[in-house]
Amino acid sequence: MAGYNELIKNFEKIRSYMREFYVYGIKSRSDFNGKSARSYDDERRRLESWLGGHVGFARKNDKKNVFISIDSRVTRHNPLYKAWKAKSFTDVDVTLHFILFDILCDNQKYTLNEITDKIYDYLAGFDDPMSFDESTLRKKLKEYVTMGLVKTQKQGKKVFYSRADDVCLDGCDDLLNFFSEVAPCGVVGSFLLDKTNCQQDCFAFKHHYITSATDSDVIATIFDAIQKQSVVTATSLSNRFLQPRIVTIVPLRVFASVQNGRQHLLAYHVEAGCIRAFRVDNLADLKICDKAQDFDKLISQLDKMQKHMWGVNTKHNGCVRGLQHVDFKIVVDQNEDFIVRRLEREKRVGTVTQIDQNTWQFCADLYDLSEIVPWIRTFICRIKEINFSDEQLQKQFLADLKQIYDEYCGEDDV
Amino acid sequence: MIFHEVYSAYYNALAEILSKIIDGETNEKELEKVVWQKAFGESVLSIFPSLKSQKWQLVHSDMSTPLKNKPTMPVTTLQKRWLKAISLDPRIKLFGVQFDWLDDVQPLFCQDDFVVYDKYNDGDPYDDQNYVSNFKKVLSATKSGDYITFEITDKRNKKISVTGKPVDIEYSAKDDKFRVSLQDAGYVRVVNLAKISHCAICKKPKQAAGQPKQRECSEVVLMVSDQRNTLERAMMHFAHFEKYAEMIDDHNCLLKIKYDATDESEMIIRILSFGPMIKVVESDRIKNGIKQKLKKQKKCGLL
Repeated sequence: MAGYNELIKNFEKIRSYMREFYVYGIKSRSDFNGKSARSYDDERRRLESWLGGHVGFARKNDKKNVFISIDSRVTRHNPLYKAWKAKSFTDVDVTLHFILFDILCDNQKYTLNEITDKIYDYLAGFDDPMSFDESTLRKKLKEYVTMGLVKTQKQGKKVFYSRADDVCLDGCDDLLNFFSEVAPCGVVGSFLLDKTNCQQDCFAFKHHYITSATDSDVIATIFDAIQKQSVVTATSLSNRFLQPRIVTIVPLRVFASVQNGRQHLLAYHVEAGCIRAFRVDNLADLKICDKAQDFDKLISQLDKMQKHMWGVNTKHNGCVRGLQHVDFKIVVDQNEDFIVRRLEREKRVGTVTQIDQNTWQFCADLYDLSEIVPWIRTFICRIKEINFSDEQLQKQFLADLKQIYDEYCGEDDV
Repeated sequence: MIFHEVYSAYYNALAEILSKIIDGETNEKELEKVVWQKAFGESVLSIFPSLKSQKWQLVHSDMSTPLKNKPTMPVTTLQKRWLKAISLDPRIKLFGVQFDWLDDVQPLFCQDDFVVYDKYNDGDPYDDQNYVSNFKKVLSATKSGDYITFEITDKRNKKISVTGKPVDIEYSAKDDKFRVSLQDAGYVRVVNLAKISHCAICKKPKQAAGQPKQRECSEVVLMVSDQRNTLERAMMHFAHFEKYAEMIDDHNCLLKIKYDATDESEMIIRILSFGPMIKVVESDRIKNGIKQKLKKQKKCGLL
């Protein structure tokens, strides 16, 4: 396999493979439409190299499908972060990097020419010393200044470069172990952990969704746009549209689920003239543009909308009928206070009321009633009444309930 | 922004290799170990050939390096911004670290930029000083291997005293709660950190903890129908488990999930939340659990 490299230049390419192998793991090579067999083989091999024992294979009907299986309750650190540590580089990049920081280690400041001369001194001991032009070094220094690794100081016409101030991460191991798993863009915490000599990790994680790691760069750009209150253009892939489309949006807030691991961006969609949700894993090629107008107004509009959102859908996510109502009553026997506590702690919006000694009611007005249905189903065994303002949904809920009952208990009733 | 070689496993491995060479280590086997620890499965095939062939001019043919200092790199602006963002998280109080040096740094995100919309409302009290103090004691004991003693209130509202050796601290983002797993004379007890009081480090009791008990796993096999986008929703929902999926035909997928046996009730309601789109193929325990709930539901009406 000539030309194969364990490292990659473009993360976007591996992003979809990781999601397919980790979340689904049901496709074989021929199911990856639009991807060449060579590309598939290379990406699969990379993932095997990065993730080792987490990658499995299954054969069925002469087809082999690859899957990534990770019990995130057992693994202390998100294995998918490894993909973010697989960026390729040139021979000059890596050579300059280590020599440059060795030169700047004395915390003195140097001009570009001084650094160039010193680098050539370092290289002189090699059989065929590497050559590089001044512009390469200038570009590298500029990049490191942007990243905050190197400082510049202008004195007259001369620009001096020095190493950025060091910070002490002593005593941060525990918080890095924790927040690198639970905070947005946790991979950055993982980069910091790599700088420490952390030997001990006491934290385990339950209900731990790790898929969003693959969207870290998109999320970081979204945060940057929110801080700058900027307009963003992005490529959006959606099941509704076969072809990717370019959207112009004003990012407002990221909505994350700890019950399915999905992340949505709530943004003002300029072309549609409304606030709506975009799946973060469907967004790519984000570019920050001009400052948005009326950002604060849009945020307060979203604040108002959130009072009627069970999940991420707003009135503009295909629900044009405005607010819809749901209420349901459940039976709570004596010594079942935990059920009332469940209602209170699990409700996201809406109200819980005691109707009589053994009956409690939940009601809410929502933009999209279908989002609350899975939660209501978790109370099956005690629902005595349910009312959706959407008649079709009412019928569907009851028909589904009957279907489940028939499937599991039908034989017992005969 | 995030995808850059300065954060790469190769750069980390190289920094460690160069440090060892500066310390006088030239044994290739020892240096290879660094690659296995810090980089990937096939990295050893490219890192050493690149150094030996002097493509990367960092190590001479006699295994010396022109570098004078062990490689280090400052913290990037991105890393500082992320640290600043987590310094604003209410849970940061648990770790007792001050970030005064980040005063001038703009956070990567603010608490208002990121909403976890479906976590439960009764999360742990991160502002409660007693809770924070207990957390720190438990964390310290978990790291040092010390025993702790504390009081909890049981279901009958009776205070009981517990002594044991904490083995790990588990966090659930859904519950927004920490739980400590405690080896307590032969079995593992899991206690909500928010429920403990009067926590103190103590001496090893006479009847000391035995070997850590392995988690008991159960398996459930589900048939997932690809109607109403259920396949995608289910795959996402159950993604955090060790699992295996296989398409049976164009519209149905068999999904095998391994889960902690103590979480059976939770598994039952999670399956029920998908309605008729997911059917339990195995196990009988889960099937019976669902049956019981449906029969009880029939008594309440709607069926």
